[in-house]
Amino acid sequence: MKVSHLFTVALLTAACGGDPAPDRSTYEASEPAATPAATTGEAAEPFSPAPDPAEKGPQISSAPSAPLVTPEARAKGVNPHAAILADFKERVDAYMKVRKDAIKDAPPLKETSDVTKIKAAQDGMAAQIRAARPNAKQGDVLTPEIAAQFRRLLSPELKGDDGRDAKEILKDDAPSAASIPFKVNAKYPDGAPVPTVPANLLINLPTLPEPLQFKIIGKHLILLDEDADVIVDYTLNVIR
Amino acid sequence: MRRLLTVFVLIAGLPFSIAGQELRVPNKPDSVKFAVIGDAGTGSSAQKGIAKEMATWRTRFPFTFVVMAGDNMYGGERPRDFQKKFEIPYKPLLDANVKFYAALGNHDDAALQRNYKPFNMNGERFYTFKPKDGVRFFALDSNYVDKTQLEWLDKQLAASGSEWKIMFFHHPLYSSGETHGSAELQRDLLEPLFVKHGVNLVLTGHEHFYERLKPQKGIQYFIIGNSAKLRKGDLSKSGLTLFGTDREYSFMLMEISGDELFFQTINERGQTIDTGSVRRVGKVEPAPGRTTQPVVPQARPTPAQPGPRQPESKSTPSK
Repeated sequence: MKVSHLFTVALLTAACGGDPAPDRSTYEASEPAATPAATTGEAAEPFSPAPDPAEKGPQISSAPSAPLVTPEARAKGVNPHAAILADFKERVDAYMKVRKDAIKDAPPLKETSDVTKIKAAQDGMAAQIRAARPNAKQGDVLTPEIAAQFRRLLSPELKGDDGRDAKEILKDDAPSAASIPFKVNAKYPDGAPVPTVPANLLINLPTLPEPLQFKIIGKHLILLDEDADVIVDYTLNVIR
Repeated sequence: MRRLLTVFVLIAGLPFSIAGQELRVPNKPDSVKFAVIGDAGTGSSAQKGIAKEMATWRTRFPFTFVVMAGDNMYGGERPRDFQKKFEIPYKPLLDANVKFYAALGNHDDAALQRNYKPFNMNGERFYTFKPKDGVRFFALDSNYVDKTQLEWLDKQLAASGSEWKIMFFHHPLYSSGETHGSAELQRDLLEPLFVKHGVNLVLTGHEHFYERLKPQKGIQYFIIGNSAKLRKGDLSKSGLTLFGTDREYSFMLMEISGDELFFQTINERGQTIDTGSVRRVGKVEPAPGRTTQPVVPQARPTPAQPGPRQPESKSTPSK
């Protein structure tokens, strides 16, 4: 782990204003932090399956997105990197708000010995989330600017010994990119291994509120709602 | 003549066989008794064999809970998979109210397993529990070592005072495996916290073999990822290795009594393949790079008893 990680973490913390970690004492459940209302991604296209990157080859995410660092902000001297990460946080918060509203009437995901009930709660939650964002499309959360920023953050970590280790981990017991649907609102397939996210990459990305997680499949990054097993967004070729 | 020879061999080997099935932990009345398995969720005959031995050994060593080091469920995770790969193999233990505490592996569906009550994760991907005063366990999610988890761990460890601190998670921070090897990226983030707060013991899986490692920075590490899967030939015994095998399935019995932790590793035939203990040194003032409660490997088997087979080291021992 390099000293630069500390700076990166500090930058991310400052930029994202991350909520404090849940104080999980023994068996103390934590709720996702309540987040302020924020704008949702700009709705546009109807939901349709995204092309399979394994068929079409790697592509750079190119979904349209409003520029986040306005000329005015630039003129005021706003750190463009911090502004991009702040925008990412806003978009994540917006998703969390939509999610919270969507699942308030769904059967709760709670501990039980009955796996059928857990699956039903997951599926119910996923259906409500999909229904609440029917027009969600690739790039709503992981805009091209944000994806480019992530590439910049990850690039140094993919070099040298740590980089080699990270790339090995990404191959280790990982599903092939072809087996995962790169499609917003799609379900992460049952039984597919969940690839470990190399710790040096993760620590350089913004901290996400539970139950969101980054997953890296091959070279591509998925933003996964882990409780609902729903792909919230994705961006291609984050790993180079 | 051949039959006679066979009988002779069997009789000659009997004392060793019986000795190999002796309980080699003290089994004191007030101690903390538990078992450890890893990479167990296959539903295979190997898993069933180990589960059967666990139930058999429990009649002599009444452990009250089992720690699972991840990959608790390979492949599908439908309701019938939970039956086939967990509820049926461990039914005798579950019926005896033995609790299982799971950590998540890279093959595990986190949302399902953390909410599956028999895994006792209370809906969390990382959590802590205290089976008895003076002993605390921490289950980590080594698939996703993010800032949230690190901050939580730092806070929990700081609050745990002078308790035994036992970690269990999937990826081994130290390993002599050829396929995976040491999880150095996770180690970079976790080990400083372990050292800072005086973690004593780390139990992991992921590698499909058994390895007892030399204490690293005062912390004792075990890999027990062979409770249902084997990767034969993958253990390349190194300077890290005190003992290991990639030829046998196994599980561990552990007992904590005062400042000493005893362990006995048992294979699918009910034979003991490794035993020993680690003692944590009493209170030592924390210092940079040193644990507050370093562990020291203790007991060695006597020559009359079968015990750990010593590895052939390929490289120089680590400090």
